Amino acid sequence: MAEAILFYLFAIGVLLAGAQVIFRRNPIYGALSLVGCFFFLSGIYVLLAAHLIAILQILVYAGAVMVLFVFVIMLLNLKEEELGEARWTAWKAIGVAAVVAGAGVIAWRALGPAYPGGPVRDNAMVVAGFGGVKAVGRTLYLASVLPFEITSLLLLVAVVAAVVVAKGKI
Amino acid sequence: MDFFHAHQAQHYLVLAALLFALGAAGVVLRRNAIIVLMSIELMLNAVNLTFLAFSRFPLVPNPPMGSFLSGHAAAFFVIATAAAEAAVGLAIIIAVFRSRTSVNVDEFDTLKL
Amino acid sequence: MEVTWLHLVPLLPLIGAAVCGLAGKWLPKGWVYAVALASVLLSFLVGLRAFMGLGEQVQLFHELAFNWFSAGSLRVDMAFTFDRLSGALTLVVTGVGFLIHVYSVGYMDEDPGYWRYFSYLNLFVAAMLTLILGDNLVAMFVGWEGVGLCSYLLIGFWFTDEEKAYAGRKAFIVNRIGDFGFLIGIFILFNQIGSVGFAQVNSAALPLGVASIAALCLFIGATGKSAQLPLYIWLPDAMAGPTPVSALIHAATMVTAGVYMVARLSHLYVSAPGIMAVVAVVGVLTAIWSALIATSQNDIKKVLAYSTVSQLGFMFIGVGVGAFFAGTMHLVTHAFFKACLFLGSGAVIHGLQGEQDIQRMGGLRRYMPSTRTTFLIATIAITGILPISGFFSKDEILGQALHTRAFGFLTLGYSGPHLTFLGPLIYAVGSFSAFLTSFYMWRCYFLTFSGEYRGPESVHPHESPSVMTLPLWILAGLSVVGLVLGLPQPWVHGTALQGWTWEHFTEGVFSRPRGGAPEEFAPYLGYGIALIVGWAGWAGAYALYFKRGLAGDELLTSRVRGLRRALANKLYVDELYGWAVVRPIWALARGLWRFVDATLIDGLFVNGIPSLIAWISAMARRFQNGDVQRYAAVTALGVAALLYVFLVRG
Repeated sequence: MAEAILFYLFAIGVLLAGAQVIFRRNPIYGALSLVGCFFFLSGIYVLLAAHLIAILQILVYAGAVMVLFVFVIMLLNLKEEELGEARWTAWKAIGVAAVVAGAGVIAWRALGPAYPGGPVRDNAMVVAGFGGVKAVGRTLYLASVLPFEITSLLLLVAVVAAVVVAKGKI
Repeated sequence: MDFFHAHQAQHYLVLAALLFALGAAGVVLRRNAIIVLMSIELMLNAVNLTFLAFSRFPLVPNPPMGSFLSGHAAAFFVIATAAAEAAVGLAIIIAVFRSRTSVNVDEFDTLKL
Repeated sequence: MEVTWLHLVPLLPLIGAAVCGLAGKWLPKGWVYAVALASVLLSFLVGLRAFMGLGEQVQLFHELAFNWFSAGSLRVDMAFTFDRLSGALTLVVTGVGFLIHVYSVGYMDEDPGYWRYFSYLNLFVAAMLTLILGDNLVAMFVGWEGVGLCSYLLIGFWFTDEEKAYAGRKAFIVNRIGDFGFLIGIFILFNQIGSVGFAQVNSAALPLGVASIAALCLFIGATGKSAQLPLYIWLPDAMAGPTPVSALIHAATMVTAGVYMVARLSHLYVSAPGIMAVVAVVGVLTAIWSALIATSQNDIKKVLAYSTVSQLGFMFIGVGVGAFFAGTMHLVTHAFFKACLFLGSGAVIHGLQGEQDIQRMGGLRRYMPSTRTTFLIATIAITGILPISGFFSKDEILGQALHTRAFGFLTLGYSGPHLTFLGPLIYAVGSFSAFLTSFYMWRCYFLTFSGEYRGPESVHPHESPSVMTLPLWILAGLSVVGLVLGLPQPWVHGTALQGWTWEHFTEGVFSRPRGGAPEEFAPYLGYGIALIVGWAGWAGAYALYFKRGLAGDELLTSRVRGLRRALANKLYVDELYGWAVVRPIWALARGLWRFVDATLIDGLFVNGIPSLIAWISAMARRFQNGDVQRYAAVTALGVAALLYVFLVRG
């Protein structure tokens, strides 16, 4: 019961904060709402027994990435007139309608009989240490060590690329 | 067993769908490139949410041993990739803003025939 | 008897051709001459050695050089047969060929393309020897096409002159028409017999219909190569080539390939007596047709060219009436005297600095005595006013035609008359052709060598160098000695000369016609008539041209104006072909070019497809307007559509 209450609490938080991101005119509010959204999301992750990912969500996303966003927003320091007006076009309406329809279909199917019959399997109850640092670490370092290393390479490339692109002239 | 416990995974999936829809709507609607990037982050997190939900409540009754946490690994990679993407994307926004003094995506349409 | 050296005969000239053609440009002139002459001479010596080896015990030499290709039951070998017929022709080709090579050293000395010339000439000899020695139809066809190629190359030897290049093309295309028939004939024979070897073809019992069709198709090939009606038109134009080429290819050897082929396949032809009649009739028509045209030509080489066509017609009469030995005997003797005539005309042209019109010759007996004497001997041989080689071989053909039994059982329709009259008819027409032959050859001789010189002052006629006159003398000598071949059997019976007569020599090589051997006849009456006919032609020419010179032509024209004009214009055959064949083909080709090529292929396919793509691209380009958000919206739409398909409908 407590799980259900926490889920609905976090879910409403996620959706409200997410809506703030896309409906707020000034990006700084959007960025701060996104931070809040990520906090609520990490709460959801905890409910899914994904402890390590929940921690990373806060450390990496809410911490590092969002600081980068806020930093850029402040660096650009957009004036009121530079923010621009909301502009509706037919294609935007079509796109939003398509998005709403797609999400609706997925939600409808997800609430429907998406799972085959029988008792729902809950890995958190079956696997010892599910979602913990040790278990996820074993998965990362044993089963998918190559993607892991490639990710580090990707991050290095991204760092270099960000410097090169933003610097303009080296 | 109440309704919630009987349909746990479905709840998470519906939440993920709604979050993804929010992000996609943001990408389609907003002109500000920074907010478009943030909307993309929303979508990525929606995907992460489905990974984690399926990781805990798998569709297959008895998945092969050792793959319980591959969803977590995927979420980990998504976070890392999102960080890289945010870094490069923001760098591009800065570079474009320098030359155009604008961050509105509908004003950048020179990359066409 | 199986041997291992027979391939040397065609291989040696081929090596000579390769050396001259590939390296001749950089080799010293003397080396090119030495290689070209030595290769043919060695080939001749090998052939001579083999010829000496033929005897009562050894009927033929055979060599399987290599298996060319095999496919299913078809097995084609590069194999050579050297029997009395092919052996004798090998000697003729290499011997006369060698003499013409020697002559060419003098004739082509000043031409910068001499190495090319000798390469082609050697290649021709190699191809001709392949044609003669090949022991199956495909090997013969290789040679057949090879000599056609060399003929094309040598007719168009001075290819910068458009008319000469055109003459080469004409020869090639007309020959192709005949070669098509030849190929069909080979296919039919392979289909029916399962083999292309002469040995198999000459022992197969074929039904009349199949034999007739095959023989007819092969004869169509022969009419192309041997310049018979209706495909003779290329040969007069082929005189565009150098004169020694005309002597070797277009008089002595290549054009007789059709006669040789018919004689080689004598069994097939006697199996199809109707086609033999066709051969004989085509031969006699060609003989009189081109003899008529020859009486009114003014180009010395054209006269000789039409004379060649006419003489080839005589050879086809010989093989057509079943007297294969007579046809091939005339082939050999004709090779001697016609080569001599052509080389003589070449010497005249050489001595007059390129002049070919007999209207601007005359009186040359004083300036070039050797040429004149040899030309006279050869003219006597071809006209038969004295009993030397041409007299005997031509009269043998006509006598055989008169007494043939080859057509005795052919009828016109089911109850129609028998075709026994065909032989005497051929004899009569052939004799008239012989009269015309005598007339136009003596006209040519008188206008060229008798009377006074009519050419321009600036040209000083002179005798050719001895390298050119020596072959003339040898060929003239052969023209006289060749009479041995044709001596009638009763004269030589029991003497040493009997083995030398062609009839005796080739006994057993040819099949007998179905009606049996011709009736026994004594040759004396025929000889008498032949002499009368020959002297009548001489008398006509003498009366008209010896004293009057060119005025003789005018006198003749005043009597038969229309006929003379038609004959001078070659009976308008070229115009007829141009109107009936060439122009429709041109029109068709132009139509194909305009419609199929320019409109369909270029328009619809080459340009049409890209413009369609360009049009579609122009449509598709509107989607790419650079607005990222529209792209995102379209993507979302696509995702929604996919979700609908997979989640809702699925």
